[in-house]
Amino acid sequence: MSDFSRREFLKRSVASGVAGGLVLTGLNRSAEASGVDVLGTVIDLTRCDGCRDLQTPACVTSCRDKNESRFPEPIKDIENYWPQKKKEDWSKKREITDRLTPYNWTFVQEVRVEHAGKDHTLYIQRRCMHCDNPPCADLCPFSVLHKMPEGPVVIDQDLCFGGAKCRTVCPWSVPARQAGVGIYLNIAPTFAGGGVMYKCDLCYDRVKAGGIPACVEACPRNAISFGGKEEMRTLAHGRAEEIGGYLYGERENGGTSTFYVSPVPFEKIHAALLKQKAKQAKPGLPGFPGMPVGVENMTETANGIAWSMAIAPVAGIAAAVGAAYKTMKGGGDDVG
Amino acid sequence: MSDNGNKITRHGLSVILVHWVTALSTFVLIFSGFGQMPLYKRYMLDQIPGLSWLSDFSVTLVIHYWAAALLMAVVTYHLVFHVLRREFDMLPRKGDLRESGHIIMATFGFGEEPENDKYLAEQRLAYAFIGLSLVLVIVTGILKVLKNLPYINYSEGFSLWITLLHNIGTFLVIIGIVVHLGAFIFKANWPLLPGIFTGKTDREYVKRRHGIWYRRIAGTK
Repeated sequence: MSDFSRREFLKRSVASGVAGGLVLTGLNRSAEASGVDVLGTVIDLTRCDGCRDLQTPACVTSCRDKNESRFPEPIKDIENYWPQKKKEDWSKKREITDRLTPYNWTFVQEVRVEHAGKDHTLYIQRRCMHCDNPPCADLCPFSVLHKMPEGPVVIDQDLCFGGAKCRTVCPWSVPARQAGVGIYLNIAPTFAGGGVMYKCDLCYDRVKAGGIPACVEACPRNAISFGGKEEMRTLAHGRAEEIGGYLYGERENGGTSTFYVSPVPFEKIHAALLKQKAKQAKPGLPGFPGMPVGVENMTETANGIAWSMAIAPVAGIAAAVGAAYKTMKGGGDDVG
Repeated sequence: MSDNGNKITRHGLSVILVHWVTALSTFVLIFSGFGQMPLYKRYMLDQIPGLSWLSDFSVTLVIHYWAAALLMAVVTYHLVFHVLRREFDMLPRKGDLRESGHIIMATFGFGEEPENDKYLAEQRLAYAFIGLSLVLVIVTGILKVLKNLPYINYSEGFSLWITLLHNIGTFLVIIGIVVHLGAFIFKANWPLLPGIFTGKTDREYVKRRHGIWYRRIAGTK
């Protein structure tokens, strides 16, 4: 190593820097600007009356009618999720319309809330919020949930394994699972997978073709507005200002494309919903979401360290250059 | 090359550290990676006292990220260190596949084992297999980390593919580790074991099995 010069070392450093840096190449690919209008909705709680004169709210009925052909038809003998002695089978409770199930992708909650000395009865249409950075789509272990360029978050039902992670990472536990259906049946149904997850896709087929979601169309009181997301945000702010009310969905989970406008604070609505849920026969059951104000996106902590991870290869290169230089100059152990 | 009586220095401290940091980070990545599937909850591992965090995705994801950073650091260190020192003993050579066949056959008593260099042909192939699998997992992993950021959204097809390749890469790494460890079922390979802990290998063993390497290091003395 005695004839090893600083110049030669620098020459090799450049060459190896390229080799080591391979790990970092092609990685700054950002999603291309789609050029598609991002869509959103406003749900005005001052307008919705839960269709009191109907047995089932019009938005719920229209959603069920529209999506009926996509509802799960499970096999007859559904296995438990071994080694657990349970499974999620809603196929014999298809008529349920007061919570989210694989057969009911939207429903209306009724809450009574006191605010500023006045009693309010509110009706809240619930469904997927279609988040800006949906943890369900980010963290699906098979990437079968997608945030579409138009905004809706869509589950690929043909590839979903039904592990229900999307529901766990959703602050509202929206996706509902049906066992005994889906691709997992073809692999190892006893040991892995749990069915298929179902939720609102904002009638993606319709909106992609320039139409509007079934629930928006069906609402007799125009309580749900649909349009460009920024337009909807402006509309929601304007309406909230007009009634001296409150907004929900703009910053929750890092931002969503569903804006609720209410005459009472959502903290009170959330508390009332939790109280209601606690009184249900099975309070632990998902499908009856609260409205936690300012709820954090589950990927936030990890995303916070994502960029600092870029230091790792740089540190690796620096340490290697230092160690190689030291050993090649004759100091230390030089056995590779 | 170092030579201490009946022992020969096979690995420097740098190589030993790289090996074990890679092993540690890869193990943590596999463990926390499996945690990204709803596996530990279903199989109730999270009910073992002290392990409830196993089914908390926000915890296992952050552990996965930090272990990934460690792996990236050690992989870049390894590549740059050996490129600078022009040490390419572990890269596969022409005919390694056939030679590996001979070595494996010889292990079972069929035919003579060919004379070996510092690394056996099967070790060079295993290195390339595990190395390329790790590169696949790292590249797709970085793309997945970027995907999780709020302002980055991939197309449906691209997301599916990178996730599929990340999962396939993980599977390949696991196969590589199983084969790597499986090699030590055979007594013929046992003398290689102390080398990765202490850096030293038995001189007689090297003379007998790694003739090409032995002659080279003997010639440089």
